Amino acid sequence: MTIFHFFNCAILTFGPHAVYYSATPLSEYDTIGTSIRTAVVYLITALVKLVCLATFLKVSESDSFDPYQEALKALIGFIDVAGLYFALTQLAHRNISQNHKFQAVGLGWAFADSVLHRLAPLWVGARGLEFTWDYILQGLEANANLVLSISLAALSSLMWLRKNKPKTLIPVIYACAGIVATMPSITSYLRQGLGWHFPKVVGFELFTSLVMAFISWQLFAACQRPSN
Amino acid sequence: MQSQIVAILRIDSEKAESKHPPIHTHSLLLYLLLFRSNFLQTSTSISMAKMHKSQSSLLVEPMYSSVITLLIIVMACVELCDAVTVVDVYRLVQYDLAGVPFGSRLAALNHHAGSSLFSSAGAGAAADLSRTVLILPVRELNLSFIREYIEQKKPLGGLLLLIPPVFSPQNTDSGGGADHDPAKDHMKEMLNEVERLLIHANIPYPVYFGFEDENVNSVLADVKKNDASGQPATATTGGYKLVVAGPEPKKIASPTITNIQGWLPGLKAEGDSNQLPTIAVVASYDTFGAAPALSVGSDSNGSGVVALLEIARLFSNLYSNPKTRGNYNLLFALTSGGPYNYNGTHKWLRSLDQRLRETIDYAICLNSIGSSSNEIFVHVSKPPENAYIKQIFEGFSSVSEELGLKVGLKHKKINISNPRVAWEHEQFSRLRVTAATLSQLSVAPNFLASTGGLSDNRHFVNEASISRSVKLVAESLARHIYGQEGKNIDIFADDSSLAVNPSYIRSWLDFLSTTPRVAPFLSKNDPLIVALKKELADHTVEVNVQHEVLDGMFTFYDSTSGKLHIYQVASVTFDLFLLLVLGSYLITLFSFLVITTRGLDDLISLFRRPTSHKMKTA
Repeated sequence: MTIFHFFNCAILTFGPHAVYYSATPLSEYDTIGTSIRTAVVYLITALVKLVCLATFLKVSESDSFDPYQEALKALIGFIDVAGLYFALTQLAHRNISQNHKFQAVGLGWAFADSVLHRLAPLWVGARGLEFTWDYILQGLEANANLVLSISLAALSSLMWLRKNKPKTLIPVIYACAGIVATMPSITSYLRQGLGWHFPKVVGFELFTSLVMAFISWQLFAACQRPSN
Repeated sequence: MQSQIVAILRIDSEKAESKHPPIHTHSLLLYLLLFRSNFLQTSTSISMAKMHKSQSSLLVEPMYSSVITLLIIVMACVELCDAVTVVDVYRLVQYDLAGVPFGSRLAALNHHAGSSLFSSAGAGAAADLSRTVLILPVRELNLSFIREYIEQKKPLGGLLLLIPPVFSPQNTDSGGGADHDPAKDHMKEMLNEVERLLIHANIPYPVYFGFEDENVNSVLADVKKNDASGQPATATTGGYKLVVAGPEPKKIASPTITNIQGWLPGLKAEGDSNQLPTIAVVASYDTFGAAPALSVGSDSNGSGVVALLEIARLFSNLYSNPKTRGNYNLLFALTSGGPYNYNGTHKWLRSLDQRLRETIDYAICLNSIGSSSNEIFVHVSKPPENAYIKQIFEGFSSVSEELGLKVGLKHKKINISNPRVAWEHEQFSRLRVTAATLSQLSVAPNFLASTGGLSDNRHFVNEASISRSVKLVAESLARHIYGQEGKNIDIFADDSSLAVNPSYIRSWLDFLSTTPRVAPFLSKNDPLIVALKKELADHTVEVNVQHEVLDGMFTFYDSTSGKLHIYQVASVTFDLFLLLVLGSYLITLFSFLVITTRGLDDLISLFRRPTSHKMKTA
């Protein structure tokens, strides 16, 4: 019986979210409500995305990489950005600073994503007798996804919420946001178009997520400065 | 898929609770990383949960810890694991003989794989294998070791014997016996030995037969590598786990044996009130072997059944025309229960009408006539001086000279007090009906030997030999029926319309060689029985099917085959290590986040005050 292994994988998949919440000031300002509402928004977004995918995408028999279909998929992927926009700007937040708002939104977003996409396979698969590295890798992917979500939320909040930002940085912000938003398509291209194996893809995701997090952090800091 | 997993899990947990004693504490070695745990202990999972809680309250750290995660990725690249392998396996027969248990007494299997009777760790034979499934290829088997192991009733988790694919019933290419490969003959001998050993032993663990293929061989190679490195697979060190999920074997309630009889009446001369004499041709069609699902018995007694069907076909041609219909009735019988002292023949003879039985001039039983040897034997239990026996033997020997066969006469007296019936004709002789068995076996087989077991398959049977035997029997019968004894005529000449049909023989032989025929596992309306009945009905005028209950001495158990799932599993130690890595990762992450967002002082203050108090003040 491999409940033990399931626990390990679950800790790896969902632990960082909890740690992020409790370690950062998010817990002090009690932003859990924001995160939960974001998660609900994510659910609705995912539903809309699902309907769109089902409507516009052909079911491909082969596993081959079709550029047209992938482009369409990437386009549909931008519904995520719309969802994030809604979560950041339209939801009523009671006096949370912008700083904490985007973190709470990113966290809720990533957590909902993990629960929706990873919990069920984990429950079914990681308790099986057969050992595979897949669930550990999947946990690492969840970590990368958390970092990316928070980065995207940070960049989005820079785009839509901050009024007085340096003009020179605006294109950079938009470019970075674009890259982060297309990450799912990029990884799917790596996996299917280039035939990368799962460990390699996860390694790539971890690496890019750290790079993007660093860039967005620097951008955020740069935007913070003139206002101070 | 899911329900299957659930089923496996359930079985696994049952085993874990009932069989696994407290888990050994092993040293935490790095290379054990490559394996993963597969045990469940409620206590452990509870303590895990506690640990988890306490960690989340005082977790700490940085992204440098992704070095650790990278390490895991590197390891992932080292050994990516293959998916579950599933192979067909066939269980050793399980039966009781007069209440005494024989064969493999268990069916469910759930243990780690091992490859050798002796652990290489130096402990020698003292190694505890009670929770190990040994995978032993028959071609490398050391018979004396395994015999000793079984006879001393040493504990074992299970046994998986791998048979070379040439012995698979699916392998229908006829070696024809034309090429005598000494290696194959040796293998055949070996299989016979193993079979004899296993059938007559009471083995308290599951024994399965499987065929060598790429998947199994690669698993075996891995297991051997592990064993060689001195790490026998157990719950703590991982490796491969072999699982055959199945219910407890159940007794087969009143196993039936089915006899099929075809009747070809002769032409009565007008005004003749006497009964016509009858000649019976009999073959037993069922088999018995170490693995009931593999007991196809191409030679014993598939060859006899095929020959009987062909003889029936030949005479049905002759008897369909009133001009060539002989003055003898022909009785064809396919009997069951052959391995069990010809129990079916006994029942069939008893049920036969007394008047009919008295008209039987003689009976010819066909048994194992498919090997490529040039010698064939007429086994009788009446003294050779007997007029009928003389006549039968002379009939055979005159035809055999023309066919280039050598016929020998073997006389073996019946001991009425001995329940053992070695030849089918002995059942006739016990009822004072003259009978002989035609066989290529020179001596009477022992009980449950030469009954179509593991090694008896299509590869070792020669169609040409069966054709020749058919011709021998048909020709000598025809000469007797038409009163042409001693004359050199060829009724079933090779190029005539009455010639023996090799393709008919081949197709029936192929069919029988892929159909396991252990009587207790054949239902009353089994496709095989229906097919035999239909074929006999095509060639004879009247067909009777008789269902009888196998005499009470034998009790059989079901679940003769199963699916073996081979899982690659990792050890408990690996999961412990993984937990450690994850714990430190989360702690580092926590410290990193606290330092970057609130500053180092906050982190230090977390440790200065009790955490619970701090939470409240926060």
